[in-house]
Amino acid sequence: MAVAMRRCYSTKTIEDIESELEQKGMEYCKYLIKKCLQDGSLDVLEHFTMTLLVEEMGEVEGGSLTRGFPYLRLTRLTASDWLLSLNARTLIELWRDSDVKAFAESIVSELDKANISPVFNALAFGGRIRAS
Amino acid sequence: MRVKLLYHTDLQALKLVLDRKGVSFDPMLVMDHIVYMFEIEDCSRVTTHQLVRHRVASYDQESQRFSAATKEGIVVPPNVRSNEVASRVFEEAMEHVYAAYEKLVVAGVPKEDARYILPNGIKTKIVMTISAKSLMHFVWQRTALQAQWEIKELATALLSLAKNATPELWTKIIER
Repeated sequence: MAVAMRRCYSTKTIEDIESELEQKGMEYCKYLIKKCLQDGSLDVLEHFTMTLLVEEMGEVEGGSLTRGFPYLRLTRLTASDWLLSLNARTLIELWRDSDVKAFAESIVSELDKANISPVFNALAFGGRIRAS
Repeated sequence: MRVKLLYHTDLQALKLVLDRKGVSFDPMLVMDHIVYMFEIEDCSRVTTHQLVRHRVASYDQESQRFSAATKEGIVVPPNVRSNEVASRVFEEAMEHVYAAYEKLVVAGVPKEDARYILPNGIKTKIVMTISAKSLMHFVWQRTALQAQWEIKELATALLSLAKNATPELWTKIIER
């Protein structure tokens, strides 16, 4: 996410952007992510993608998810198991929708359990900024 | 042009999930779920205009609002480069355009407005995230005979990086 955000405003090569981010550390990445959430520049978040196994979900629930969120990709594996892929922007959109917020919360909980993107999770879903 | 793969979905991890569920690996089943993030540098804005028409992908591009343009950052098409007269015309036009751009900036016009006179051939940098399914469609369209040379070069480079990263997926797709 931070790389994508710097890409917009920097003429540097990708290697230079990566070493700049490494040099400036996690606090700087945190600042960038926070800024894009505050500014509503959610396109940057589309570069953070995740794939999950969803168990015990019916066809109706699956259908309503894909109808309401066209950028979410859902593939049926068995009668009740699905592969779900989405990006962080779609996750925020799910979180903001009261009908599916519980589902979004379960995804964020899985990310937290696996220690995936803790900084982003805290900023976007920690209730401190407008994404919540 | 320079293309680099920054990230891709772990196909082996995905295969483990399929195994656990007793589902055999089928590239068409997982294509939507394999994602690649690429950095593309020094291609022209002509090509990125064509690229972003493939809408089922995510893009972030170097902004011309804040970064200054330079005369060195121009893609010269082979048909111009190989023609002495055309090369001269092209070069003169670029000298003129960039001199005017610099004068506008010096006169206090913001870069975001001065850029209105810049050419399409200007070099740019862009980050793209795309699924294997969308990439397959992109490659199919943009390596066709009628595709333009630069985007064809880009499509070929992207496919090559994707194949190297997830050979099992692409070998099966190409076999089909």
